[in-house]
Amino acid sequence: MNMLRMVVTIILAGILTNNYVLSKFLGICPFLGVSKKLDTAMGMSAAVIFVMVLSTAVTYPIQRFVLEALGLEYLQTIVFILIIAALVQLVEIVLKKYIPALHASLGVYLPLITTNCAVLGCAILVTEDYSSAVYGFGEGYLYALSCAFGSGLGFLVAMAIFAGVRKRMEFCDIPETLKGLPITLVAASLVAMSFLGFAGVVHM
Amino acid sequence: MNILIPVLIVAGIGILAGLGLSAASVIMAVPVDETAEKLAEVLPGANCGACGFSGCSGYAAALSKGEAKVGLCPVGGKAVADECAAILGVDAGDMTPKAAIVRCLGTCDNTSVKMDYIGVDSCAAAAQLYGGMNSCRFGCIGLGDCARECEYHAIELCNELAIVDRNLCVGCGKCAKVCPKQLIEITDRKSAAVVMCSNKDKGAITRKVCKVGCIGCMKCQKNCPSGAITVENFVAHVDRSLCTNCGLCIENCPTHAIQEIL
Amino acid sequence: MAKKTISMRSASQENSAAVIEETEEAMEEKQAVEQTEDAVISEAATEQPSAPEKKSSVGGTFGNAMKRGVILENPVLRLVLGTCPTLATTTAASNAIGMGIAATLVLICSNTVISLLRNIIPDKVRIPAYITIIASFVSIVQMLVKAFAPALDESLGIYLPLIVVNCIILGRAEMYASKHAPALSALDGLAMGVGFTTALLCMGTIREMLGAGSLFGAKLPILSGQPILFFSLAPGGFFVFGMLIAAANKLSKKNNLPVRNGCGDCPAAATCSLSGKGGCK
Repeated sequence: MNMLRMVVTIILAGILTNNYVLSKFLGICPFLGVSKKLDTAMGMSAAVIFVMVLSTAVTYPIQRFVLEALGLEYLQTIVFILIIAALVQLVEIVLKKYIPALHASLGVYLPLITTNCAVLGCAILVTEDYSSAVYGFGEGYLYALSCAFGSGLGFLVAMAIFAGVRKRMEFCDIPETLKGLPITLVAASLVAMSFLGFAGVVHM
Repeated sequence: MNILIPVLIVAGIGILAGLGLSAASVIMAVPVDETAEKLAEVLPGANCGACGFSGCSGYAAALSKGEAKVGLCPVGGKAVADECAAILGVDAGDMTPKAAIVRCLGTCDNTSVKMDYIGVDSCAAAAQLYGGMNSCRFGCIGLGDCARECEYHAIELCNELAIVDRNLCVGCGKCAKVCPKQLIEITDRKSAAVVMCSNKDKGAITRKVCKVGCIGCMKCQKNCPSGAITVENFVAHVDRSLCTNCGLCIENCPTHAIQEIL
Repeated sequence: MAKKTISMRSASQENSAAVIEETEEAMEEKQAVEQTEDAVISEAATEQPSAPEKKSSVGGTFGNAMKRGVILENPVLRLVLGTCPTLATTTAASNAIGMGIAATLVLICSNTVISLLRNIIPDKVRIPAYITIIASFVSIVQMLVKAFAPALDESLGIYLPLIVVNCIILGRAEMYASKHAPALSALDGLAMGVGFTTALLCMGTIREMLGAGSLFGAKLPILSGQPILFFSLAPGGFFVFGMLIAAANKLSKKNNLPVRNGCGDCPAAATCSLSGKGGCK
């Protein structure tokens, strides 16, 4: 039961207090770029959740059984990014062959996610926060996967809220200097401020 | 010796990934339509939808299956149509360049407003409020939905009237779909007589709300030698296929609502 | 929305029609002349690259590259690449400089190596190859920072390994290093890195001064009494970044809108009160 509570806590924390976009500044580029329309934002978020969970599922065991076992932690960056890039490419090929409808809607975002801070950041952070040395491999793996899922959900929530805000801003009278990216960033700062209110809600 | 293990590990992962991906791309290869790809490369890539298909790749796919004619892309024009025809091995046919025109001359000087509009800065929104702030309920609202929609920056707003720069316009038709008053028409680039008014109210009312509106006096219809002009609903319509570019209607129009667009 | 009233004008519209025709002809002539001028200019422009480079332009190239990297095409403020480290590492000015220097090092090294290997790497695998090269250099820089500046490593945290996926480095590798000689690529890497560091330093200084009332750790007289925590937290990062980009836009003042070529070809010109006076509002 403790594990279940921990998993739920981790997921909630990923959405509210440790939101990857609004607290940790990971994945800002797609956040600012793709959040203009709600459907593209949802497509991007779905792709991000999928890639995050999948890459954590692959990199976490590799960290434990290859890198830590042989004392090669310094190779973490290279190995992780290689695996993530190959994985995303494989996913794209599989999707194109077996689920072409999904590929048509999500496929365009997959290359964008490969070089996204959020995915690599998640893979590295879970090896630090839920390392198998502290929790044991099985438990740590579960927590790592739920953290990846929770962070992806947090990304989705942030994107959905922000897409709504941007849609409202479309017909506002904005001063010339602030038009475009500056006012978008100010809006993002206000959304981030609202998320600050969740601090302390989730106790880890 | 110590350095050998990490080198082997990274090299091993790289080789595994490379082999795996090559195997996957062969085993799970999706048969790709070569013609469609070649056609998609030739098409402009603007994805405007003027051809009636979902973007350039959609049109390329339809072309390669023989479900579409060659000259449907106004953005690419004759050049692209010829290239597509060459790839497909068919005859290109004729293609006249088209451009958009806003059929309204309602500048601030020609018309008046019936209310002070304070609201969402969009023609579609203003049109929902009693048909817009202009006295003429058919006229151009001038808040720029068409200008925002145009990807080629061909539409400008001058004196609260939208004006299309026919040299920049490629005739994709996106502006025509966005105009809430349906004022934008896609005509041949060099059009002889274009009726620059869509006001379907009686002549007296038209005259009150706009100085250059079509009052439905039928002078153009009587003077047209080829019978290309008909006046319906107190506004003139020109049948392009019958028009001989004689210019008589333009001379005779008392309000100068018909113009020659070069 | 200004209300305009209909003003009664005298029926001189036929005269104005004749005037319009004359101006239309003049416009056509002018356009023809302009087109030939454009053709001449474009010919001249295409001839320039074949001209031999002057010796004195080495300093000029350096200056040009630096100006491009820092001001004209600043990767953070104009190209809006690499936003994640910009927002995350600028809570303090010292972190900002540390991050900037680390990224610059990686940029220079990876640009040089990629440029050296540009003819060998096949086109289909170039992105994974670039990523591998960049990742190696990032690992090297990571280890250097861990050894010589452990405090910086603590404060940068996860953003040090995340330099791998920094859009700036991959972008410059793709756009510049793969097409130019090693020396020029290294120079471009230096210029972009300096631009990145400058932008980061600006943000870091502002956020540290307002958010913590200090600069590089040294407490400032008035500001340290009333620090505004907002600026050190996440929302403040977005806000300051937005304001900086607004300032950069204002300073560069690019106007992309097409300028109307006079009122000659406008169908409403005959009846428009602004025609001939440069038109449009």
